[in-house]
Amino acid sequence: MIPYRTRILDNGLHVVVNRDRVSKLAAVNLLYRVGARNEDPDRTGFAHLFEHLMFRGTRDVPVYDLHVQMASGEDNAFTNNDYTDFYLTLPTANLETALWLESDRMQGLQITPEKLRAEQRVVIEEFRQRYLNQPYGDQTMLLRELAYRRHPYRWATIGRSPEHIESATIADVERFYRTFYRPSNAVLSISADLEEERMLDLAEQWFGPLADTPFTAAPLPAEPLQTEALLRIVERDVPATTLSVAWHMGARCSADFYTGDLVSDLLAGGDSSRLYRRLVMKERLFSSVNAYITGDVDPGLFILTGQLLPDTTEEQAADAFRREIGTLQHEAASGYELEKVKNKFEANTLFGEINVMNKAMNLGYYDFLGDTELVNREVAEYRSIDADRIFDFCRRTFRPENGSTLIYRARR
Amino acid sequence: MKRSTHASAATPAATAPQAATRNTGRTATPVATSAENQAAASAATPAEDRSATQTAAPVTAPAENRTATQTAAPAGESGKSAPAAASAPRRAPRPIVQEAIGIAEAESVVLGNGIKLYLLASDDFEILRLSIVFHAGSSTQRVPFSASATANLLAEGSERMSAHEIAERLDYHGSYFDVNTDRDDTYINFAMLSKFVVPTLDVAAEILLRPAFPEEAVATYCAKRRQRLRIDRTKVDVRAREAFAEAIFGERHPYGECFDESAYDRLRREDLRDFYRRRYTAANGFAVCSGRVGETERAAVIALLEQLPAAEPPARVPFPEPRQTRERRIPHAGAVQSAIRIGRLLFPREHPDFLGMQVVAAALGGYFGSRLMQNLRERNGYTYGVMAAMVNFEREGYFAIGAQVGAEVTEAALAEIYAEIERLREEPISDEELQLVKNIMTGEMMRILDGPFGVADVTIENILCGRTNRVIGENVERIRRITSSEVQRLAQRYLAREKLVTVVVGAV
Repeated sequence: MIPYRTRILDNGLHVVVNRDRVSKLAAVNLLYRVGARNEDPDRTGFAHLFEHLMFRGTRDVPVYDLHVQMASGEDNAFTNNDYTDFYLTLPTANLETALWLESDRMQGLQITPEKLRAEQRVVIEEFRQRYLNQPYGDQTMLLRELAYRRHPYRWATIGRSPEHIESATIADVERFYRTFYRPSNAVLSISADLEEERMLDLAEQWFGPLADTPFTAAPLPAEPLQTEALLRIVERDVPATTLSVAWHMGARCSADFYTGDLVSDLLAGGDSSRLYRRLVMKERLFSSVNAYITGDVDPGLFILTGQLLPDTTEEQAADAFRREIGTLQHEAASGYELEKVKNKFEANTLFGEINVMNKAMNLGYYDFLGDTELVNREVAEYRSIDADRIFDFCRRTFRPENGSTLIYRARR
Repeated sequence: MKRSTHASAATPAATAPQAATRNTGRTATPVATSAENQAAASAATPAEDRSATQTAAPVTAPAENRTATQTAAPAGESGKSAPAAASAPRRAPRPIVQEAIGIAEAESVVLGNGIKLYLLASDDFEILRLSIVFHAGSSTQRVPFSASATANLLAEGSERMSAHEIAERLDYHGSYFDVNTDRDDTYINFAMLSKFVVPTLDVAAEILLRPAFPEEAVATYCAKRRQRLRIDRTKVDVRAREAFAEAIFGERHPYGECFDESAYDRLRREDLRDFYRRRYTAANGFAVCSGRVGETERAAVIALLEQLPAAEPPARVPFPEPRQTRERRIPHAGAVQSAIRIGRLLFPREHPDFLGMQVVAAALGGYFGSRLMQNLRERNGYTYGVMAAMVNFEREGYFAIGAQVGAEVTEAALAEIYAEIERLREEPISDEELQLVKNIMTGEMMRILDGPFGVADVTIENILCGRTNRVIGENVERIRRITSSEVQRLAQRYLAREKLVTVVVGAV
């Protein structure tokens, strides 16, 4: 349970604060409602490149990191398909340093062609390190590309190719900044051992004077209904073949989200989960298996993936997945098994609440979803799922014509 | 809770955010452990590979006394003319430097069988973590991979419970069990909700006291690990880490040796039983309990630990002298990046210059604005991340710089790294930069200490170094007193070009 208070400033900035009575640290999170989804299909990877540029200095503060570090703070950021998140922790006494810096770079960013070029090179190295120079590095990219035809979720946050990142211009940077980095397109959240009222007032003091120019993002192309099973096979120099299947499922705020989450836990939530027990330990078909949901804001994917042991054929692996899916569609999970995954979900939630950064980040995220209170209601939502809802979800979702299969084959 | 996008930083089972982040995360470290040692991730991070990530080592202070005094800070308004845009109050707040930090001393009890239990009670959270640390790292094994395999197979069935039952009971209560093996030690952690302490410790007893290491589980484990190690070794970074350990310690040294994947085929159940019998005893370890510790919890934990066999502590095995190789260049087919390690063997934490060398390492590559990051990443765009650290083992310690750089700029990046080291040797670091480094290190310590599990991790590290938690405060104080000329003296003394070991895997 995370107690919090909210305020919406006149310029549209959402503020959410939580008082933590233990930590000596303050956590500040600033979420912008912009991600890879807002990119031009021919200029992908830009939202993430821009996130990097946010650390490249403003008119008043040429070196952002310097001030965070002088205040004993630590900052970082990440971008995903739906949003961009900047976060930092510092000693509570230095909270205002964070608010000063974040309010400053919401409007004063100053990017020169030289800064842009240097950052493009950094991001291309990131692309290489994480996606090109890694065994299986491009696997999730391939799966997205296969499963989506029109929606921008078809590309990964890093982008479709290093060439896209190379082609970004200063004009792109300026337009993107003006369009998306504004008070009314952001959520500020704070967790620290301070009076809530005081934190809200500080937010007002630092961010209140910023002007806002409202803007409505262009609607995204809706993903057409998939009507036939899709298959793609690639060969790579990797030691073991992996099999992945992705099915379309509901959006983040639909009831499907929690059911999908729970089903993924039944399949792969820990060592007592079905897939681990049966396919890894008992039948020894895979060296590892996983099931997870992408959790995107718009309708996302349910993904099943496994790495084959050397003696397992692709047919055996696919059969094993089909069997597990069949079981979900025809046999009810026991009350005990449901209670287990629900307890685990509750424990995870509690373990996640012992840290100020986690709390601030979560509050910002749920506010962004449009339902801050959901942060404290999730456990109940998850607990309310019964066998009928699971049947319904599994029968609707795990149909062959709703699925995309990727075989990432080890070259012999 | 199996979601890929929303980044949730520190849940015990934190699944890494798949989102693209600004940096490699401070977790990518040029650390010592070989690939085999990367234990199955999950629960509340153990004191892990005592090292790198944590720029500031166990530093902390006499409790209380949070006197936050102000130090001279750069600040005020910056000189440039006021922006035209609507401006917020643009005056920079003065950063306040935390000059003393501290954590409470753990309460310690010696149990009947001789094991020492350290208690860190905090009632703020309804959770409990029990960590047991055995001197049972890979340097203590006689058979390759037996140390990590023993730890990783503890929960694969006991004399009374099957692996499945153990997993079921832990999962049912939402409890976490994880192990981690480094070169010196094995860390075993149980994290649980306060309301499920008793049923969790019942299972912990099976895992800790009665592991059966069933034949079949051993076989499955070996097949899986062998495959994983093969995959890991296709990564330039993993190969560089292993090659660097070999280069500074020698291929035969327990801190340097790396084993072929095929050694998994020869690992037998008896090897694990033997290792367990010799190393998992009261005389060869200690325990740390943190979180909500009332009378019930205390009694339950003691009842569990007292069942560990007393036994004689195992004899200390002598290590051969380290044998250093100056340079290793290993080609890696198709690599678009090269992994670099530069460093040298120095000394373990007890050495009077260890802390000073941590400051040197931090200035070079311990934070985002460090000299190497500024140069290689911000100025040249050669890399996504570069870092430097002092790494501590029980009997040795070393300095290391690690990075992955574009294949085509490998030589240029090496030249810049050497140049930055030289610059630190030739010119004194400015007072302002040194102050910055010190503030970073203090902040880092505060972050590590945040939350009950963080305090427990630091306590474990201190115990392993033979210190009490008072050392944290003393170290913060010592770091605060380090001068610019001291930094230069250390760099001159320990980082001479001809003493440095260089390993490159990739485009060579």
